[in-house]
Amino acid sequence: MLWTALALLLVLLALAVPVAAGLGFLGIALSEIYSRLPLTLALGEMAWATSNNFLLVAIPFFVLLGEILLRSGMAERMYNALVLWIPWLPGGLMHSNIAACAMFAATSGSSVATAATIGTVAMGEIKKHGYSERLFLGTIAAGGTLGILIPPSINMIVYGALTDSSIPKLYLAGILPGLVLASLFSLTVLVICLIWPALGGRRTHTDWQARIRALPDLIPPLVIFLAVIGSIYAGLATATESAALGVIAALGVAAWHRRLTVRMLLHAFEGTMRTTAMIMAILIAAYFLNFVISSIGLTAQVNRLVTGLGLSQTELLFGVIGFYLILGCFMETLSMMVATVPIIAPIMVKAGYDPIWFGILIVILMETAMITPPVGINLYVVQGLRSRGRIDDVIIGSAPFVVAMLVMIAILSYWPDLALWLPRVAAE
Amino acid sequence: MSLARRVTRFGLWFGGALVLLAALLIGVDVTLRRFFNTSIGGADELAGYALALGTAWSLGATLLDRAHIRIDSLYVLFPRWLRLALDFAGLALFIAFFGLVLWHGWSVAQLSWVSGSRSQSALATPTVIPQSLWLLGLALFVVVGLALLAHALVLVARGNATAAAHLISTRSAAEEVEEEIRDLKQR
Repeated sequence: MLWTALALLLVLLALAVPVAAGLGFLGIALSEIYSRLPLTLALGEMAWATSNNFLLVAIPFFVLLGEILLRSGMAERMYNALVLWIPWLPGGLMHSNIAACAMFAATSGSSVATAATIGTVAMGEIKKHGYSERLFLGTIAAGGTLGILIPPSINMIVYGALTDSSIPKLYLAGILPGLVLASLFSLTVLVICLIWPALGGRRTHTDWQARIRALPDLIPPLVIFLAVIGSIYAGLATATESAALGVIAALGVAAWHRRLTVRMLLHAFEGTMRTTAMIMAILIAAYFLNFVISSIGLTAQVNRLVTGLGLSQTELLFGVIGFYLILGCFMETLSMMVATVPIIAPIMVKAGYDPIWFGILIVILMETAMITPPVGINLYVVQGLRSRGRIDDVIIGSAPFVVAMLVMIAILSYWPDLALWLPRVAAE
Repeated sequence: MSLARRVTRFGLWFGGALVLLAALLIGVDVTLRRFFNTSIGGADELAGYALALGTAWSLGATLLDRAHIRIDSLYVLFPRWLRLALDFAGLALFIAFFGLVLWHGWSVAQLSWVSGSRSQSALATPTVIPQSLWLLGLALFVVVGLALLAHALVLVARGNATAAAHLISTRSAAEEVEEEIRDLKQR
């Protein structure tokens, strides 16, 4: 049963069948072959229940929030302010890139949006200050991935929905690892620029007056972060409601910068609904597939199989990390999560790992997948923004940050409390 | 095809407007709860409908924009004719799956109608209303999908495989990025 399912899935996906249709027909096929009851009859009920799931409403909210911010002029101002504040380290603006990504990540739930937004405003600086193009591009591609680790995060919502985990807890658990990973990225730049000073560009000089004057531009991101994250922990709003507050705050920021127009909103609607329909199509099929998989006893079979291997807890962890690193080179992250998490998360929990901790691990593995070739969405985004040269430059420039992510995974495995401490303190 | 594009684009706007309204409604609800200790009641339910309707009405435009995800790591290595064949197969399967959702969703809505079921909330919405609007969006998707399939088949029959591929193949990384950039410049 397991091998049939796996073979079917691989064939469907390798033949480039749209992921939603692939998962859906896998469910139908498995139900036809292995179930005595016609499980397909539940398809309508399941699709409706998934479609109006209140938890998932957070997805279009976060996408809309990102689309509005992208057009609000907030990112340019924020970046320019950060440039004034962080140019003194070896590597100069590359640290500003990472800081700007981390800061934008605190308002955005998507890595693509983060890389695209910061990349757009940062790209002009490469030539101006004589930076190594490759490393500079790498900071944007890798820094952008912080979008899904620093809350809010669409991937955490999907993980929470798939595993019935608390999204506020996942958000809290992501904060410290997000800050540590951003610091590791900066450290990577620092070390590289100390070894090869030529890569680091020319220092720029600023004065304190300009710095102070730029401070107000850092307020809008803070307002949105407070609206989205603060409202949850102040007990004002649930995860989905907080996303709605974020949308409203973003509208406010856009209006403040005089960018709020009907035309702008319609553009934002188009981008939002295209992404939402794409994600929801996959989720509708995935929920149905998961229902079939557990009904025919496949989940139990995988569990028995893994238990039968007699792996130690550590060996299992290594196996899972290796699995995602390899798969991440070839698969888009959301499809990968939806297809694997419902099966792998229960195994990990049974082996004694905390589901919240595992959620953070998965998110970091997804970040790695976004900058590992041949399929790494952030590599494409950054290459697209510069629209010349070869994508190899971005791949090579991102490679040191893949190492930083592996270090991060090791740290998180060694000190699970890095993720679990904040949610625990908050619960007390 | 241009009619399909116009209609589905309207679907995107409709869906986006619903999502925005849902966000505003929730904002009002949270404020009322915090400061006036009262609630509209059912904002979450309406937001759920916004997601369901928005998704269904946006599937078509997403299909025409070739934005539904396909894993093309292996696909790009295949010869051209095989890729086109897979494009047709993938498109047909995608339409078929949501056709099935429409079919089974129809019985769900029928049951809601017959049993007169209402949502378990203060609103007590007759569930058949949002369900019918949802099905209408799915039906629009199936019609648009079939039109796209037929159009692409005609193009191939006329020997214009390139034009067909432009309609239903996966977007190359270059194309995708072009769009993204154009979009960024528009803002």
